Amino acid sequence: MTLLEIKNLKKIYTARFSNQQTEALAAVNFSVEEGELVSIMGESGSGKTTLLNIISTLDDATSGEVYLDGNPLSKIKNKEISAFRRNTLGFVFQDFNLLDNFTIKDNILLPLVLSKTPLAEMESRLMPIVRNLGIESHIDKFPYEVSGGQKQRVAVARALITQPKIILADEPTGALDSKASQNLMEILGGINESGQTILMVTHSTRAASFSKRVLFIRDGAVYHEIYRGDQSADEFMDRISDSLKVLSSRGERDE
Amino acid sequence: MFFLMVSLLTNKFVQERSATLPTLFMIGVVVIGLFSVIFILYTNSFLIKRRKKEIGLYGILGLEKKHIAKILFFESLFSSLLSIVAGLLTGLLFGRLAFMLLNFMLRMPDDIEYSTSLVSAGATIALFTLIFGLTYLYNVSQFTFANPIKLLKGKQEGEKEPKGSLILFILSLILLGWGYGISITIPDPLAAIEKFFLAVLLVIIGTYLLFISGSIFILKALKNNKRIYYRPGAFISISGMLYRMKQNAVGLANICILASMVIIAVSTTITINLGSAETLENQYPYEHNVRLFGDMDNVEEMNTRFFEVQDEVIALTEENGLDVAEMESYRSESFFGNLVDGRFVFKQNLLGDDSPILMMAIPLEDFNGMTGDNYTLEEDEALFYHSTKTYTEGELAIGNKNYKLTEIENEFSADMEFTESIALVVPDVSHLLDIRDDFMKEFTESNHITIDAEIGLDVEGTEEQKEQLVNRLNSEYNGGSDSFSLYQSRENQREEWYSINGGFLFLGIFLGLLFTIGTLLITYFKQVSEGFDDREKFQIMQKVGLDEDMIKESTRSQIVWMFLLPIVIATIHVSFAYPIVRKLLLIFGVTNDMTWLMTFIAVVIAFAAIYWMIYRVTSKVYYSIVK
Ligand SMILES: Nc1ncnc2c1ncn2[C@@H]1O[C@H](COP(=O)(O)OP(=O)(O)OP(=O)(O)O)[C@@H](O)[C@H]1O
Ligand SMILES: [Mg+2]
Repeated sequence: MTLLEIKNLKKIYTARFSNQQTEALAAVNFSVEEGELVSIMGESGSGKTTLLNIISTLDDATSGEVYLDGNPLSKIKNKEISAFRRNTLGFVFQDFNLLDNFTIKDNILLPLVLSKTPLAEMESRLMPIVRNLGIESHIDKFPYEVSGGQKQRVAVARALITQPKIILADEPTGALDSKASQNLMEILGGINESGQTILMVTHSTRAASFSKRVLFIRDGAVYHEIYRGDQSADEFMDRISDSLKVLSSRGERDE
Repeated sequence: MFFLMVSLLTNKFVQERSATLPTLFMIGVVVIGLFSVIFILYTNSFLIKRRKKEIGLYGILGLEKKHIAKILFFESLFSSLLSIVAGLLTGLLFGRLAFMLLNFMLRMPDDIEYSTSLVSAGATIALFTLIFGLTYLYNVSQFTFANPIKLLKGKQEGEKEPKGSLILFILSLILLGWGYGISITIPDPLAAIEKFFLAVLLVIIGTYLLFISGSIFILKALKNNKRIYYRPGAFISISGMLYRMKQNAVGLANICILASMVIIAVSTTITINLGSAETLENQYPYEHNVRLFGDMDNVEEMNTRFFEVQDEVIALTEENGLDVAEMESYRSESFFGNLVDGRFVFKQNLLGDDSPILMMAIPLEDFNGMTGDNYTLEEDEALFYHSTKTYTEGELAIGNKNYKLTEIENEFSADMEFTESIALVVPDVSHLLDIRDDFMKEFTESNHITIDAEIGLDVEGTEEQKEQLVNRLNSEYNGGSDSFSLYQSRENQREEWYSINGGFLFLGIFLGLLFTIGTLLITYFKQVSEGFDDREKFQIMQKVGLDEDMIKESTRSQIVWMFLLPIVIATIHVSFAYPIVRKLLLIFGVTNDMTWLMTFIAVVIAFAAIYWMIYRVTSKVYYSIVK
């Protein structure tokens, strides 16, 4: 079943002090099935973050539409948008975005507190997730007292705790070393195995090789996509690298 | 930020200037000086925290500590010079403006001059150089004792709970209790003047400690109460406050102290002003008051002069075509001593370590005439009034006499409550003479003790006639320094009183204004700086689904802290200050508790309203920053 559908999405930024316009997204079309783990790759400045921000309602599209479960996101009223974000989406950011004044536990619980979830429910959801992510011994510490990899796992836990329809991750491994990245991707893979839909932006072929499908974006449009099928992660990684090479060499030739 | 420091400087500056009432204003100056120290250190700690990252980066990039110290030195030299100069200038300007405005509004009989002197400017400069020096040392120590990594992280880490907060908490209660205790147990106004400063100081320090330790306790308790903590508003605000708990506490304590000062300054001066009429009546119970002083060499002379003068006064009144409406007169003898084992032991004068008791002896016949009572006394009986009511034995020995006592209320003057005093109504004038003889036997040198008399009367007639009488009596009984009599007309005193009391009102309002501005600045500063601190957090939270209503809710749940807590504690402070302030008011002749209580309540409410407005406006500012 199609969970997320993106149709003809276009985004034009207008510079603040001049009339100069940047076309970040030209015409993006793709869809994500329920239970998929999809990676989006592309060169720096190709519009990946912009795309993710529009899907997560943090930004508005210039034209085009995003459908979640068949409902257009642009129809959500302003008042409901925060609740929508809280309840249906989960976010993992490149720079973690944890709050220094909360303990790890409270950081994870934040979205639930904001939706006024009963205490018992919060507690019962917390433990399985932190155990699963291997951060249960840190939950009473503060963010500045744990490592980068642990912080990102906390961010994943915060995204998971609302039991969202889809998790949106923007370069979740961007600030991590290869071992921590590997670890995080295994976790995301595991979560995906259990049925969670994940849409992820990444620069790392290794990270992308964990997904079922990789979309390549160039010049604000989906340029290419490859499916993993029955391939092993390593084989898939090679294919991704090849595609990237082709992508960039064509880009060079184009210029 | 800069401006805030400058304005506080202004406060201090203006304070120094208007030090017309030496003791009370010394207190004011010291309190404000202390306050500026705390305030500037407080602002400085914010600023430096923000700059930790920058300086940490310098360190990593290879700048030596020596160089960093140098940079900091020039920075603080420059900024302190600028703020002192700007502060003096604004102080001058603001002071003049405020005085002009208040002079105009209150329509003083004589304008109160706003004077500036080099001494006060010098003192201001010295104090602030000291403060800035202190902040500089603090800053340098912050950077030299920390490693770059710590500095880089400086802004992230929350404030740590101060060590021994339980001890601090207990200490704060002790200090507050001590301060309150002084106020409650203060025996008389003279002691009140002495101890007032100490009490104020104790309470101020106690307040800081209380807020620092107490607020952290409460916040932690709230955090541990999951039902309260895990609700959107509380969740955000409690964690935020714990994150910067000391800053928060100091800010609240500042507000609380300022609030107390505003309330006390304004309510007492208003009371004094409102009580002026009553004060006058206390001080001058009659329109015309003649006081006769006894002749040391011929004490018995009073017993004839007393009646002669009464007749003379009545004659003069009628001569001027006026009728005597009411008249009161009595003879009395005043002397000092102490109560020891049922005996009143004479003391020669006021000097000495322990403050002696003032005793006033009055003959029964005059007492009955004065009060309209019909007491009769045997030779060994006396009526007895004691201001502190601590002497409860039925008998009292004075000289070679022993009196059986009957207790009465204060039918005399309100002055009796200034210091510990006793009024003793003895059977007749011969007893006064006996007491005098006994006293003289003990202190042969002394000439302090004579029989004096008071004659007071109200008259009826036209204004013109009254004025004539005033002049007549004045020339008759105000014969200069060697005369044995003194005449005071209430009418003549009234003007003087009003100008003095008007001056008080003026100063009270002026102080109130200053402190209110201080409150405004601190609240504003607190909200703005916290707003900028929290902005990033709120942005992150919005990404994970915080909506605007919740931001509002979290700012609203601060109300209890930001608004109610300082006001409530300030009210408690002021309530405990009540006894000592009441005693101080006695000096100004205000004895009506109701007036003071009513103005007190009115001022508390008015200040709460003003603070509420300040709070609303500043929290709007906060909201617009974080949104
Ligand atoms: N707020 C903005 N205003 C104007 N232009 C913007 C804005 N945000 C992004 N852009 C431009 O839009 C284009 C796409 O930016 P985007 O951040 O989506 O790239 P990206 O694919 O995420 O790059 P990276 O891999 O480096 O993160 C870029 O050319 C960028 O300069
Ligand atoms: Mg990006």
